[in-house]
Amino acid sequence: MLEGAKLMGAGAATIALAGAAIGIGNVFSSLIHSVARNPSLAKQLFGYAILGFALTEAIALFALMMAFLISFVF
Amino acid sequence: MFRRIFLFDEDSLNSSVTSYTNASQSTTTIMDYSLKSSDTQGSSSGIFTDHPGLNPCSERIVELQYDIRLKLGALMPKESAQKVLEASEALHGESNNIAFLEYLLEDLQQNGVGGEAYKDAVDLSKDLVSSPLEQFEIISLIPMKIGNLYFSFTNPSLFMLLTLSLVLLLVYFVTKKGGGNSVPNAWQSLVELIYDFVLNPVNEQIGGLSGNVKQKFSPRISVTFTFSLFCNPQGMIPYSFTVTSHFLITLGLSFSIFIGITIVGFQKNGLHFLSFLLPAGVPLPLAPFLVLLELIPYCFRALSSGIRLFANMMAGHSSVKILSGFAWTMLCMNDLLYFIGDLGPLFIVLALTGLELGVAISQAHVSTILICIYLNDAINLHQSASFFIIEQKRV
Repeated sequence: MLEGAKLMGAGAATIALAGAAIGIGNVFSSLIHSVARNPSLAKQLFGYAILGFALTEAIALFALMMAFLISFVF
Repeated sequence: MFRRIFLFDEDSLNSSVTSYTNASQSTTTIMDYSLKSSDTQGSSSGIFTDHPGLNPCSERIVELQYDIRLKLGALMPKESAQKVLEASEALHGESNNIAFLEYLLEDLQQNGVGGEAYKDAVDLSKDLVSSPLEQFEIISLIPMKIGNLYFSFTNPSLFMLLTLSLVLLLVYFVTKKGGGNSVPNAWQSLVELIYDFVLNPVNEQIGGLSGNVKQKFSPRISVTFTFSLFCNPQGMIPYSFTVTSHFLITLGLSFSIFIGITIVGFQKNGLHFLSFLLPAGVPLPLAPFLVLLELIPYCFRALSSGIRLFANMMAGHSSVKILSGFAWTMLCMNDLLYFIGDLGPLFIVLALTGLELGVAISQAHVSTILICIYLNDAINLHQSASFFIIEQKRV
């Protein structure tokens, strides 16, 4: 019973990855839009995009960390 | 000395509920243990009705196994009851052989920690561990205690010392004083690149100060950057320990920086720094709520930059370990189909390793930039650095 609930909880924790996926997609789609409008800024914008990607990915990892904690620590 | 391998009889392995052939079954072991121990403590006859697979004449065996567990528990007082159980079960392996069990018990009683049986128990119980979080375990290498303070030299300290001393030696030997050249070779230009890498965000992100005043902060930022730049990828070396995958270390870094930034803010702006908590042009009745709302994210910065690094390292390493576990299990299944299918997880592991190396470096970069942004907030209150760049261009 407890084992099953744990697995369900760990699975449910990964739903949050949907939001992170949208976020990362948004970051790079904005990058493509911006570079298409002003290709001369490509290098600078790529730096910002990587920064945004790392921040968004960190949020995704919070969710993943919760899933790991639920399934392995408790 | 008994040869362990010959003492396993097929009967005992098949009949008993707990079997140690598979490490992943540790949960069933735990459940079974609670059942068994409560039975043996009460009346030892009850266990046979619950476990029809056990031989009824093995009352002596159950007693012996229980004694071994108690003895092991007494020998390793630091371990939890579950670990002691795992160790003891790994040691006697649910054997039916009374002579073997008696031998184990005697060895434990006479030789204690130095005995063969104790070493076997420790070694065997290590193999049972299957959790991917096991790699983050802190082991004290040189135990030390100052009063009530736990001051041991542990494996994080070892790897931190190792990484940082190697990096500092590199930095020392390739730069000018340690024998560098004015035309740099590959190593020297690497070090110069790292040094230069920190100067740029400091210049770009912090506004409103002259260059010399800004660069006052760069040594501190540079140290943080170098620390995470080398400690993060160092964890990707197999069998090493990821220093930054520990809450304590990353939070120690981020809290000290947060406190430092707050002090800098008060130094530069005096009590006017508190206006940071209230955006300009807010109607007075709203002010109490807004101060609270601004205070929470400000304090959360201290937590978030530490947790970001920790979560990145921990989740990344665990997922690499889990996926390589998949690949290994498929490889060991002795089946052609699985052998071909094994390429899937294997390539995912390869890709994930590359991603992890990228993440390790980009996290160092991100934390550096965020420190600069926070520092800019503390110095200039609500104005962003780009505002100053626009101002300069206008003049």
